[in-house]
Amino acid sequence: MIHPVLPRRWALALPLALLAAPASAQMDPGRAGDFIRVTGEELVGAINTQGSVAQRREKVAAILRRAVDLEGVGRFILGRWWRIATPEEQQQYNRLFEETLIRNLSARFGEYQGVRFTLGRVQARAEEDVLVNTTVERPGTAAFGLDWRVGDVAGQPKIVDVIAEGTSLRLTQRSEYSSIITRNGGRVASLLDAMRGQILALSAREGG
Amino acid sequence: MRSTLLLTAGFRLLLLAVLLLGTGCATRPPASDPEALAEYRENNDPIEPLNRASYVVNDGLDTLIIRPAAEIYRVFLPPQAREAIRNVISNLRSPVIMVNDALQGERQRFGTTLGRFLLNSTLGVAGVFDVATGFGLPAHSEDFGQTLAVRGVGEGPYLFIPVIGPSNPRDLAGTVVDIAMNPLTWLTGNAGVDAALYARTGLGALDAREALIEPLDQLRASTIDPYAALRSAYRQRRAAEIANQGGATQRDTGTGFGVGPGPLNPTGPN
Repeated sequence: MIHPVLPRRWALALPLALLAAPASAQMDPGRAGDFIRVTGEELVGAINTQGSVAQRREKVAAILRRAVDLEGVGRFILGRWWRIATPEEQQQYNRLFEETLIRNLSARFGEYQGVRFTLGRVQARAEEDVLVNTTVERPGTAAFGLDWRVGDVAGQPKIVDVIAEGTSLRLTQRSEYSSIITRNGGRVASLLDAMRGQILALSAREGG
Repeated sequence: MRSTLLLTAGFRLLLLAVLLLGTGCATRPPASDPEALAEYRENNDPIEPLNRASYVVNDGLDTLIIRPAAEIYRVFLPPQAREAIRNVISNLRSPVIMVNDALQGERQRFGTTLGRFLLNSTLGVAGVFDVATGFGLPAHSEDFGQTLAVRGVGEGPYLFIPVIGPSNPRDLAGTVVDIAMNPLTWLTGNAGVDAALYARTGLGALDAREALIEPLDQLRASTIDPYAALRSAYRQRRAAEIANQGGATQRDTGTGFGVGPGPLNPTGPN
């Protein structure tokens, strides 16, 4: 079905575009593996540079903003509530989601001084994503398996999920967010309030 | 006596929390809302109000007693001593892992566990050193809950139990069977033996909680609804463990927590 708002010429152009690039959504495993290797090296470099914790965190955040499909992940996590949210709520959610995710991940990675990581297997998945296995090692603590799900977003490889020891970040967070909305009478605004509160708490912890 | 008092206090707290949070079951969404219904099934938590009450109780006990005890354990014992204790305790658990490997028909993993037990008990000086990992026999975990799952037993509704943490009837029954199948459980004798067995249990609990200080702190800091996040993480983690897909690493002192810190030996050949 053609969307009524689309100009008439798109009705022709769209199927042609789909024919011309049938594999545009399919991620190439080799490319995904390279992408994770390069991104991982950048992250390790940023984490292990000299400087204050805040500086390291800022470097890590910049890399994550480039490498993660923030919009796609955010949409996936809000799940069925995306359609219920008003356009303003959707906009606010996107902004809040980006901030909480970047803050949480960079706070976590920022503390991983002396971290090393090893690239493992790269598996193409049926769902058009590629799963890249890595092992993360830190001095004094046990190594753990960290898997990266890489998808194709507008022709670029992007991280769409992080799986630590079998636990998917986006599945866990979707369950959590939905639980908050459900327990508050199905109001998406209650989640947005809670996210604002969380950002305040996180910035208080970071000291600014 | 002290533990009885603690349990009574815990039970009263639980009752109070149940009264405060409201008893009963989670409301099942109507069939007209298939997405909500799918989510309800995915959460698998029909007694959510009771579980949440247990979570509140656990949080209180953990903040007041368990976490501080784990911190004291970390501060007073050097890392080498803690590693030795951890190695001894997991070596003592090897027979249980071995039986479960066998019951699941996992020949290679059975061999690995047997080899680990023999090497670490002898060359490793009664399990103090994990020499087996260096010989290419990395640690893995198994428990009777996983054996039941492999045999097709369903997990039943999600349960959150104070002190024990996230679980379900299948995994809980599995824990009881694991305790029963451990030869040490049935060892009695003089007061010295009994004291050693109590020490093993106590140190095992401290070690498990010590390893979870950062992961659980992180869970509390980075989530808005830690109960829901832990529930989802536990179910995902157990599914991966049952499929033996723990990645490079699996902690072999089964703590019941879905957010385990990873393996015991960072120097493994993975």
